[in-house]
Order: sequence, then structure tokens, then C-alpha cells
Amino acid sequence: MMGHRQVHRTIQASIGTLLTFMLVVGVSACGSSSTSSGKGPISVLMGTAPDSLDPGLGATTQSYEATWITYTGLVTYAHASGEAGTKLIPGVAQSLPTVTNGGKTYTFMLRKGLVYSNGAPVKASDFAYAIERAIKLGWGSESFLTENIAGAEEFQKGKAASISGIQTDDATGRITIQLVAPYGPFLNVLAFPAAGLVPSGTPMKSLGNDPPPGVGPYEIESVVPNKSFAMVLNPNWSKDAIPGIPAGHENIDVSIVSNNQSQAEQVLNNSADVFDYNDTIPPTLISQIESQASDRFAKEPTVSGLYFFLNTKEAPFNNARARQAVNYGLNRQALQRLDSGMLQPACFFLPVGMPGHPTNAPCPYGEPNAQPDLAKAKELVRQAGLEGAPVTVWGGSRAPHKEFIDYYTSMLNEIGFKATEKIVADAQYYATVGNLSNKAQTGFLSYSQDFPNPLDFYQLLDAQSILPTENHNLSQVNDPHIQSELASLGPIPSSQLSSVVPRWQALDEYTAKQAYLAVSGYEEVPKFFSDRINFGAAIFHPVYGNDWSSLELK
Amino acid sequence: MVAFVARRMGSLVAVLFAITVLTFLIFQAIPDGDPALRMAGRLASPQQVQAVRVQWGFDKPIYVQYAKTMEKVLDGSVISYSQQVNVEQEIVRDLPPTISLALGAGVIWLVFGVLFGLLSAVYAGRWLDRLLSVVALTGISMPVFFLGAIMLYWLGYKWGLLPLGGYVPLTVDPWGWFTHMLMPWVALSVVSVGVYSRVLRANVLDVMREDYVRTARAKGLSERRVLVRHVLRNSLMGIVTLWGLDFAWVIGGGAILVESVFNLGGVGQYAAQSIGRLDVPPVMVITMLVACAVVVLSAIVDIFYAVLDPRVRL
Amino acid sequence: MRTLLRNRVALAFGALFVAIVFACLLAPVYAKDVAHTGPNDNHITETVNVGGKQVDVVSPTGVPIGPTWKGRFFLGADSNGRDVAVRLLYGGRNSLEIAGIATLITMLLAILLGTLAGYMRGIFDGVLSRLFDLVWAYPAVLLGVALGVALAVGGIDLGLFTLHSGSLLLPAFVIGIVFFPYVAKPLRAQALSLREREFVDAARVQGVGPLRIMLDEILPNLTSSIVVFVPLIIANAILLEAGLSYLGAGVQDPNPSWGTMLADGIRLIPGAIHLVLVPGIMLVLTVLSVNVFADGVRDALDPKATVRGRL
Repeated sequence: MMGHRQVHRTIQASIGTLLTFMLVVGVSACGSSSTSSGKGPISVLMGTAPDSLDPGLGATTQSYEATWITYTGLVTYAHASGEAGTKLIPGVAQSLPTVTNGGKTYTFMLRKGLVYSNGAPVKASDFAYAIERAIKLGWGSESFLTENIAGAEEFQKGKAASISGIQTDDATGRITIQLVAPYGPFLNVLAFPAAGLVPSGTPMKSLGNDPPPGVGPYEIESVVPNKSFAMVLNPNWSKDAIPGIPAGHENIDVSIVSNNQSQAEQVLNNSADVFDYNDTIPPTLISQIESQASDRFAKEPTVSGLYFFLNTKEAPFNNARARQAVNYGLNRQALQRLDSGMLQPACFFLPVGMPGHPTNAPCPYGEPNAQPDLAKAKELVRQAGLEGAPVTVWGGSRAPHKEFIDYYTSMLNEIGFKATEKIVADAQYYATVGNLSNKAQTGFLSYSQDFPNPLDFYQLLDAQSILPTENHNLSQVNDPHIQSELASLGPIPSSQLSSVVPRWQALDEYTAKQAYLAVSGYEEVPKFFSDRINFGAAIFHPVYGNDWSSLELK
Repeated sequence: MVAFVARRMGSLVAVLFAITVLTFLIFQAIPDGDPALRMAGRLASPQQVQAVRVQWGFDKPIYVQYAKTMEKVLDGSVISYSQQVNVEQEIVRDLPPTISLALGAGVIWLVFGVLFGLLSAVYAGRWLDRLLSVVALTGISMPVFFLGAIMLYWLGYKWGLLPLGGYVPLTVDPWGWFTHMLMPWVALSVVSVGVYSRVLRANVLDVMREDYVRTARAKGLSERRVLVRHVLRNSLMGIVTLWGLDFAWVIGGGAILVESVFNLGGVGQYAAQSIGRLDVPPVMVITMLVACAVVVLSAIVDIFYAVLDPRVRL
Repeated sequence: MRTLLRNRVALAFGALFVAIVFACLLAPVYAKDVAHTGPNDNHITETVNVGGKQVDVVSPTGVPIGPTWKGRFFLGADSNGRDVAVRLLYGGRNSLEIAGIATLITMLLAILLGTLAGYMRGIFDGVLSRLFDLVWAYPAVLLGVALGVALAVGGIDLGLFTLHSGSLLLPAFVIGIVFFPYVAKPLRAQALSLREREFVDAARVQGVGPLRIMLDEILPNLTSSIVVFVPLIIANAILLEAGLSYLGAGVQDPNPSWGTMLADGIRLIPGAIHLVLVPGIMLVLTVLSVNVFADGVRDALDPKATVRGRL
């Protein structure tokens, strides 16, 4: 039987040994940050499987989350949250390009000494190969390439064996790209993972189940379609390889869990680490999470807007008063509740975080967070002589968009229209309202940025976008002031965007006054982790969501 | 016997052909709408739609279209354009949960249906019989997905007794497989248990009135022996037919309703999701395959019936 | 008939069914005078007085209120702040209307074609029997789904009449087609055997035309079978409509039906369970009452029949 003193000393000795042990282990764990700490892997959950993990095919946000840190292109985005993350930085190129020929020629120099994840050296001609591959495979957003790069359309149609507008020199590392016409956001296009380099000779077929090697902090392995895949730290990536692209901390196991409730519960009770920001946390759980886990949950704004389009070419919304009435009557709090509280009420077309979002202007038709002025709305409808005017409200079947339409139709009836809703299958929705022969008067519209350049959003209000089918300008806006502004602001390259922000802001304030759309607000998404993850250090990127390379375990 | 089987096979092939034609007509020959656009899906570029048009033969007469469609189905080369996934491969991947569901539920309702039916017949008129009748009737009157949702809510979410849905393969974790399948099995079985017990009860009561049972009783066999030996054997045929048809019903309908509630990721859920996306190729292929499977199953049941009862082979 | 009237349980459930139908027909009255709201009126940001406190109809995170057991929101609200009790009644109207019309279509087709096939035999029977077998062999839910999906987008134009995609007649049409062989085949078998009876022979010898024979001799003898089938088909039609609407291949938005209400409720599990329980219990009660009544009818007319409860 040990006496008190002896117990005390035994404990001291044990603690000492333990501390020494931890010190030794800790020291040996510090070193090149491209080896994991051994505490991982981090388990990330996804609600929907990526459409493809082949960079030349994948076009959904789930796919990009994995491919942007695996396949680096000539340029990429800064790894930072908020507006800092919208900045373009050189990727496999030494620096941002020289732009000449009135904005039509982009010249890059490849960085020296880069290797792929399989050790093979990176060549300049790999860039041309990657672009050709993305077009050959039929990447969902390939029109950004075929419409802008000279010779790309001929290549796609099979009339040319290669893209005439891309010239590369493996000896010097020079890459020159000719555009069809100046296109301001072209650098953003080059930042897509589809423009990320892959070795020349990579098979021209879908490699979604066994993705090709790339240049980046991670490589993708062990793909089980629709079930899981693994992000493994790239052994051939040195943390100094590309400044601005940090190495990852841990290996990552990604699993597809389509039940949102199950996903959220796993993260809440710490049996999984990351909740898919693309999914909605079931409303009953949000209150529980906000009280129990407030230190690891935050609502992150995204650059995406929820709107109702108002067709200016058909009655009744060809009448400006009718459109103003809708804006006065819209109850954004109601829409926020329908979106489980994940909507930031707003009145401007460009969302927060997009350069050009008006920061100082008041809303022309009532503050978004206040109760709507239904009396004024009814008055305007009456003044316009449009009481009882029939309106068909279009919507898709997916929740919560269908619920938005249910509310919106009810509101239109309240302010004096005779509105009935027409819900079509979600898969057909945009094709249906985008077909001008359907004469869609109003309906749901949502838009997420392809890249942080306001020109991306303004194609929705560009008269040149109006097409008989696949129309994107659903309000059929043809406004000379907007057209002239777009003509002069459009060609300005993304790298010089900050200098013209005040003009974009002025344009957006003008658009709000015209009430071409009824703006509900901007979507927020959940940044929700287990308590193993260092929440504050994790980056939420404005374009790609959770930056997995920034995830570290405490 | 051989002649009977041959004839049955012949009519089977005819019905299978007719089913494929019917499915084809329903999906391809819908008036109004460009089938190529529908097949290709929302994100298709005009070139992709044209490629689809050529591949499926939409620019050709209807019998050519049918031939091309069947060629793709039998080849295993049907692609779901909205997902860029090979439909038949996806179906194969999704088979384990559906088969686990159908087989497990089949065993449960057979056992309990027969049990309840026998109990009801033996205690005919008494409180146990009435209670089981009520249970049976309520089971028949309930939509399977409602029952499934209720069980999921109470047994899963509220009391945490069973997992919240999802599927665990038998080979990975047998106990997990069992706990995940238990609620779906019960949801599906309740309906059939109801039907079986009522049918079996009526059958048993009928047979119990027959002369030879009375003779058997007179011979001094105990009540239970009488039941089991004579009655059950004669009710067997009815049960076999019913079971075959019910199994077909699970695959053909029950699975699609229950799998979505419990997120089992089986063929039924794949069909349900495709419906929601208006993704036609998977719905068409699944419908065709399942209808054919059902027809084949009933043919097997028929042949089995003929083996048991020579009078049927006329 | 007398046997039926003596079966008090069957009568009680029959009365329950009638009561449910009646209540659903009175939906507009309930909406106006008791709940003071329509089935599509949204009240998302409003509050309601519960036990002296003002409670949000829909919480800021989107959770709707449960039953208040008062005039307004008696059975609670859904995520759009609509009154569940009002929608239940209006949805019931739709669900029951569809089931009724579907049953009508099934019975008409089955009686017409079944009698024709059974009596006329020959080529009529050859073609019609194959048709019955084909539709019967096709699993009911899948056929309903296939037709429902295919027709949901554009409706159907049958020359004589057009059914638009939002119409309630569309699911009724689909369900009617799916079920008709289950009645046509037994009726055909009966017509086939009736044909050989002496009184039919006698009529034929007398030179009575086939149409007259079918109407005067065959049809009346099929009545008891027909009467037994009707409640059975009604019950199955209600269930199939619920299933199809749940999958999205039946009643299309914005029309409410018990099936679509169940779909909305199941999607929100585990929150707001009242959105699942209310339409579900209503469905079970309705179908149960039809089934018990059907049992009674069958007992009275044909006690030896072992017709299956579910198709």
C-alpha cells in the first residue's frame, strides 16, 4: 500500500514521462507540412456525388471542391475567405499574363521545375492538351472555351485537329492564347479546374473513376462512384512549389450521404468532420446546432441570388408600376423562413461579395428586412388598372423553390392580380421558361456565380442574351443604358476590375430602380464542422466553398 | 409436362416482347415534345441532342426506333444523359439493397402470414381472431410509405432504437445489415401479412370442413396433426401463387415506395429519383427489366404449380 | 341485402366513409367559416394566439406550428403557413374524386370488354384476352408511374378529348387503365361460363341478337360480382393515387392531395411530424372503412369468394 508521498511522486513521474513523450512526438511531427499529422484522415460528407471527378468533365460545385485543389491551371484563386478569395493569382504560370492586341492576346510563361503527382514533368504543351481534352470530353461549361478561344469552335466541330488560337513552346515554356474578341473574365475561365493541366496523352475518355495526375496539394484516389473517394496529400507537392497555394494538412475521406438529417447529425455528434455546404440543415436541427455547437457553425454568404423574373415584354409586367408593386409587396422574411433561415434578404441584383454590389445605396422599394408595404403595392396595381390581371407563375418542383412559388403566387393574389401557379419538373424548368413561345410572365430564377466578375451575372439582363430557346434573359430586358454600360465595362480584364467597381455599382443601383426583377436575397450556406477541426483557420472560399486544403485538426 | 413447359415458355416470350413494346411506346411515343431533348436532359448542348437523336434513331420510323432502343438495352449501353452514367451498371450496383429488401420481407410475411392465418382459423370467432382480423385489415389499408415513415420517426429518430435509414451490405457488417433492413422489411410485410392471414384463414376454414379432415379426426389424430398435415398441404398451392405474385409486387412497386423513405439506395430509389429528374432512360430500363422479371417469376410459379398439381397442365 | 344490413360493423364503417366524403365536400364551408383561410393562402410571417401567447405560425428557421385544436390552424400549419385542416379537406376532395372517376373508368372498361371477350369469343376474345394479360402482367405501380411520368409533362390528346397536364382526370385515367384487367379477367371468365347456360342457349335459338343477349341475360348475372368489386377498386385506387402522388407521378402541384401532403411531410421528418400523421391517418381511416364495408358486401353476396384485399 503506497503512502501519500509515494503516490504523489508516482503521479509526477508519470506526468513527466507523458510530457516528454508528447514533446518528442510533437517535434517529430513538425516538419514538411505535406505529410499528415497522423491524426487524420478528415471525414468530409457530401450530399450529392460529384458529377465527375475527371477535371475535363466535372461541372458541379461538388466536383470543383475536389478538383480545384488537385488540378491547378495557369491561374487560380487566392486561398482566402471573403472578397480576398476572388483575387486571381498565378498558378502553374510564373505570373499573371501580359495582355496585348486590344485584350485579344494573353501571354504566359510556365514555371520551371513543376511536376505532376506521378512525378512526370509539366510541359507547356500540356495546357493545350488539357483544353482540347475538356472540349473533346464535352465539359458542361465548354462554351466558355469554344466561344472565346480562337479556333476552339472549329476544333470542337472536328474541322481542325488542334486549337489554332493556342500556341505553346515546350523549350521556353511560353504559352500564347488568342481570343476571338476581348473578354474581360477570360482569366476567370482559365482558373476553372477544366483548364487545369494534365499530362499530354491522358486518354480522351471519362476517367471519373480513376482521375488523371495533376499539379496540386492533393490527388484523388479510391473512387467508388456515388459512394466515396479519397483525397490524398500529393507526395510530389512541395509547399514552396507555387506561392499562394498552401499544402494540405491531412488526408481526406469523402463519403456521399444523401440524407441531410443523417449528415447533420453525424457532424453534430462528431462522428464525421465536415457538412456539405451545398446541403440544407434540416430546420429542426438548426436551432439545436445554434445552441449546442455555436462555436463550429456559421452562416456563410455565397455569391448567388434568388429572384423572380418579371417579363417586360408581356402584360402585366411590361407596366413599370406592376413591377414596382411586386417589389413593394415581396415579404423577404417569409422567403427567409421558407429557406430555413438561410437567406440574406436584399434588393440589389448583384450579391454581397461580388465586386459591384452597391454598398451605400438605399433600396428603392422598401427595406428588405422590414415588413412589406402591401397597401402601396395594391395601390400601384389599381393605379395601373391591372386589378384581376391573369398571371401564370412558373416554378420547378424541387423544394424549397416550389414553396417559394407557393408563397409568391399567394402574394400576387393578395395585391390584386389573379395568379395561378404552374409547376414543372425541376429538370425541365429552365428549358420551359427559357422557351419564348411559352410567354412566361413571371417565375422563379436563381443564379450562382461562375466566377467573381459582374459580367457573369449581367448576362441575365443583356439584350444580346435573348434567345428563342434556352433564353437566359428571362425578363427580356432590352435597356439602352444597360447595353451601353455592358459594352464598355465588359472587355475590362478581371485583373483591373477594382478600378471600375464604382461604375458597376451605379449600374446595379439603376437596375434596382427599374425593377426588372424582384430580388429575394442571397443564399447563405452552412459552414459546419465537428469539434476536431480548427474552425477559425478553415477557409470558406467565395467560389469553391470549403477549402479542404485549409482544414486542420486541433 | 414438357409440352406444358414449352407452351408456357412460348407465351412468356410473347409477353416479354409485348412488355418491351408497351414500355417503348409509353416513353418514346408520347405526343408533344422532342424525345431527343427529353433523353438528353437539361444540360445538353445542341450537338449532344443531335448525337442522341442519331443514336436512338429518333429521325427514323418508329420500328427502327424500337429496334435501336432494344439494342441499347440488351447491349447494356444505355446512358443517362443528365448524369453521364451507364444505366445498367448503376442498376447492378443498386441491386443488393433491393434484393435484401424483397427476400427478407418475403420470408417475414410468409412466416407471419401463415402463422396469423392459422391462429385466426384455429381460434375462429374468438377475440384473438377478431384482433388479428383488425390488424390484417388495417395493414391492407395502409400505404407502405406512410407506415415506413411512422416507424422511421418513432423507432429511429425519437427513441433511437434503430438506424435512421441507409444500407449496410451483409458482407461488411451482418448485424448492421439486419438493423438497417428491419424497419423496411416490416413496412413491406405488414400489407402482405394482412392479405395472407385473411386468405389462409378462409382457406383453412374451408378445408377444415372437408370430409377427409373429418375422417382424419375420426381416425384419432390430434387436432394439431390434422391441421398441419392435411390442411396446410392443401392450402400450399394458394400460398405459393400468392407469394410469387406478392414478391413480384414488392419488386414492381413496394420497393420504389419504401426505398425512398429509408434511403436504401436500391433500384427502386434510383427509379424514384429519376422520375423526379424526369430522367427518362433509367425509368424506361428499370420499368422494362422489372416487368420482365415479374413475368418470368409468374411463369416459374405457374410451372411449379403444374408440378404440384397435374390437373393444371391442360 | 338483408345480410348486409344485419352486419353492423360493416354498416358503421360504410357510414364513416360517407361521413368522410361529406366532410371533404364541405371543404369550402370549413375554409370560410371555421378556419377563415383558403387552402393556398400563405401565412408565413403571421402569429397565432395559442394558450394566451402569440406564437409564430412558421418559426424563423422554417418550422411550422403543430395542431392548435382551435378554429385557426386546427391541425397545424405546413411550411408555407397554410392551414393543414383546410388542405386536408380540399386534398380529400381531389383524392376521392380521382379514386371515384378511376373506379368508374375501370368498371366501365372491364364490364364492356370483359363481357365482349367472354361472350363473343373468337377473335374478340383472342385480342382482348391478350390485352388484359399484358396490362395485368405489368406491375401496377410501375405502369402507373410510367404512364404518370410520361403524361405529366404534356397531357394527352385522344382525339375525342384532351387531358391537360394539370388536370385531375389524368391520374384518374392512369389509375383506371392500370386496374381494369383485374376486374375484366374475372368478368370475362364468368361471361364465358354463363354463355353455356340453358337460358342463353334458348335466347340464341330464338334468334335474339348478341347485343340483346349480353344486355338482358349476361349482364344482370354479373351484377353481384360487379358490386363486390367496386369498393375493392375504390380502396386500391385511393392507395395507388397516394403512392403515385408521393412519387410525383400523380397529382401535380399546386393541387393538394393526400399523397402530395404525405410527400411534403415525409420530406421534413423528423420535424413537424403532424404533416405526416394528419394525411396518413386520414388515408388509413378512409381506406379501412371502404375495406370493412367491402368485406360486408362480399359476405352478403358471395361468402365463398376469396377475393384478395390488395391488387
